Amino acid sequence: MTIYSAIFYLLAALIIATTALAITRRNLVHAVVYLVISFFGSALLFFLLGAPFLAALEVIIYAGAIMVLFLFIVMMLRIEESKRRIFPLSQWIPAAVLCVIYLGMLAVILSGIEGDMRLETAVAVPAAFSMWIFRHGWLAVEIASLILLVALIGALHIGRRPAAADKKEAQ
Amino acid sequence: MTTTATLSDPNVATTLAACAAPLLAFAAIFLGARRFARLSAGLSIGAVTVSLAGAVFLLAANWHAEAPQVFSASWLVSDAVRIPVGVLLDPISLLMMTVVAVICFLVQIYSLGYMAGDPGFSRYYGFMSLFAWAMLSLTLSSSLFQLYVFWELVGLSSYLLIGFWYEKFSASQAGKKAFVMTRAGDVAFMLGLFVLLVGAGTLDVTAVNGPAAARMNPSLITLSALLIFGGIVGKSAQFPLLTWLPDAMEGPTPVSALLHSATMVAAGVFLFARLFPFFRQSPAAMGVFLVIGTVSMLLSSTMAMVSRDIKQVWAYSTISQLGFMIMGLAAGSFFAGVFHLTTHAGFKALLFLCSGVVIHALDTNDMFEIARKKGRRLKLAMICMTLAAAALAGIPPLSGFFSKESILAALAALDNPIWLAAALLGVLLTAYYAFRLIFIILFPRPELVQPESGRGHGSGHGAGTAMGSALVVLAAATLALGFAAAPLARFLSGDPAAAHPGPHLPWLPYAGIGLAAGGLLLAWFEFGRPAADQKGFVERVPALAALFANRWYIDVFYARLISRLVDRGLAWLCAKTDQRVIDAGLDAASKHIIRSSGVLSALQSGMIQHRLLVLFAVVVMLGLYFIA
Amino acid sequence: MIVPYSHVLALAGIVFLMGMVCTVTRRNLIMILLGLEIMLNAGALALVGASLRWMSMDGQAMALFIIVVAAAEVSVGLALIVCVYRRTGSVDPNFTETAAPEKPSV
Repeated sequence: MTIYSAIFYLLAALIIATTALAITRRNLVHAVVYLVISFFGSALLFFLLGAPFLAALEVIIYAGAIMVLFLFIVMMLRIEESKRRIFPLSQWIPAAVLCVIYLGMLAVILSGIEGDMRLETAVAVPAAFSMWIFRHGWLAVEIASLILLVALIGALHIGRRPAAADKKEAQ
Repeated sequence: MTTTATLSDPNVATTLAACAAPLLAFAAIFLGARRFARLSAGLSIGAVTVSLAGAVFLLAANWHAEAPQVFSASWLVSDAVRIPVGVLLDPISLLMMTVVAVICFLVQIYSLGYMAGDPGFSRYYGFMSLFAWAMLSLTLSSSLFQLYVFWELVGLSSYLLIGFWYEKFSASQAGKKAFVMTRAGDVAFMLGLFVLLVGAGTLDVTAVNGPAAARMNPSLITLSALLIFGGIVGKSAQFPLLTWLPDAMEGPTPVSALLHSATMVAAGVFLFARLFPFFRQSPAAMGVFLVIGTVSMLLSSTMAMVSRDIKQVWAYSTISQLGFMIMGLAAGSFFAGVFHLTTHAGFKALLFLCSGVVIHALDTNDMFEIARKKGRRLKLAMICMTLAAAALAGIPPLSGFFSKESILAALAALDNPIWLAAALLGVLLTAYYAFRLIFIILFPRPELVQPESGRGHGSGHGAGTAMGSALVVLAAATLALGFAAAPLARFLSGDPAAAHPGPHLPWLPYAGIGLAAGGLLLAWFEFGRPAADQKGFVERVPALAALFANRWYIDVFYARLISRLVDRGLAWLCAKTDQRVIDAGLDAASKHIIRSSGVLSALQSGMIQHRLLVLFAVVVMLGLYFIA
Repeated sequence: MIVPYSHVLALAGIVFLMGMVCTVTRRNLIMILLGLEIMLNAGALALVGASLRWMSMDGQAMALFIIVVAAAEVSVGLALIVCVYRRTGSVDPNFTETAAPEKPSV
């Protein structure tokens, strides 16, 4: 077992544990914070797998922007603690059945992989990655930018307070 | 056998023009000219003149034609079934077309006088044109389907014309009655056409009369013949659908002359003649036709003997003469039936038009009333009516004598003498009731005659020029048509000898004349001679008179039947069905729908997560499917 | 020498499953959105692993786009949640109970 594989397993355990904690928290703030840790783990894993640029993006966008956005919303909405069960039984049982099937499928897929060689370490330097992506995927980049623009405008529009509500609040 | 013509053929072009002219007139009248009465009449008469000219031209051009001419185009094609539309020019259709065109023309001329001043003058001529178009096209149809279409159009225009004075309740009722009763027959006709189509695979007239029927199952032939005959029974007012015709006299008298004596009711007999070779393949059906013709003939004769309404007497006589024609055809003599159809069209139209003059002048339908108002002063009308009544009675040398005699000859050829006896009885009764009417009008009992009023309608207000000229032409036809038997026979069946079907019985014409004269004398004895009390022998037996006057209670029977069957039986059934089946079914259905929608609504919880769950399940299943 | 690719794939699969369970079971719109983020992240993880496995940039490019889409999606999604919250005063995904107070009487 090399040092790299040790790090991989360590990170995998971290990710799984924090994600599991995140999805079971009753308090949304706790859930978001656990998930931030999980995403940090993912970022480290990206780095390990030779994608330093993506690792940076993961930290900046996922753990930074998205999670902070979640935190904002959670704080803004003043959501009262639900007294109900965190996993309602009527939803939990089918989900559990689905999980079992899914895990079975995963096992089948994994055991079916042939010639499972170990991954070599390699690094895609950000400069090379950027050169590559602008050469081969410039159109996709443009589309992605367009998507972001649309999302920006859409979020602005949806989140706008209706005029009547504005007036009511003003009075 | 038949020759196929093209559109450029002069015969076909003339035919199409003759048929289309009245339709154009109808459209023009109802689209624009309706407000201008004289223009409407002019359009209609002009159109029917074109038709008349076309018909005469076609008759003359084809007088020596060897084979029928067919011009047809496909209308509906569905797999093996092909329904053509076209014209068929053969002797029977040409003759009928000419008869129809002549009568239409004369009646429209006559109507100029009769209908003058009527608020619905334009409408009247519009309907007349519609009728002329439908009837002419009916006679020329090359396929039975096409014929059926025009048959119904004729029924429609008949309905419109009977109920022409729709403000009058009885007129609109009569129109409705005629429409419904003829429809009852037409349903059978339609079913018969279906049977024919299934059996023979074609509705083409020449094919049905020729090769196609030979391939059919005999019982199928009988079935379809009987069903088609149902349509004939309705249209020609035969037993048991005969009661609509007397009521149809509610329409204007020219309409009665045109539709309900000469042309429309003759359409039934025409259909019989048209399919004569086909019908003849089923002796059983022919037997039924013979019975129905005989029964109708005798029944309506008895009804005519007691009626006081002048138009109704002629209506009953129409039924009875149509019965005669059907008897002649059913006895196997094509010529006898068609010849009587032709002569009857002439003298019956004359009878009605004369009655129209009298009714127009004296404003009453009752024959005793007419007698009291000195109806006999209308000289031209009375002469013509007497002439026509003599033709109806079968007095030589008028046309009715010849045609009736050929029917008698055809009946004499049958094995069973009862048909001949019935026909001879019919001759006697016909002469009796025809001259009963004539004598009542001509020789009113002196004590009943109104004193001279001076200002009366009578003298100055007889037949105008328009009406009079039509009468004269028809009277001339009544006189002359009888002698056209031999050429007509050659034209219709290619054999002059067909004028005298059956064995040569020298006594038969004398028997016919003798019975007609007997009927005439009986009528003279009871109504004509100065000492007569004008009471018929039937009226001396009140029960019998009531029976005849009430049309053998056929209408009462229908009313009872309908009230029992429809009001109590069907309505009860419908009510029960409504309660037990429809209402209960709806209740049960809605109950089940509510219950099952309750079950189904569990699926539609509006919960995103349930949908997501299903979505994931599907994705996972797809994954399983792909790795498996 | 790190680990076999199947291990990366297994990790991604487990994380994806956890996101899925979160999405399906938590009765909270924000948690549902969080679950979606977890699933997207798991997809990105698998793609980065695959990029190394076949020594190709394609996987990393795809992961980049996933991050872009996640950012767009979360902004719109959170705006929607705010909208729903304004209208119903709750973030419960069971709209029949919150949005329509009068249940159809059956």
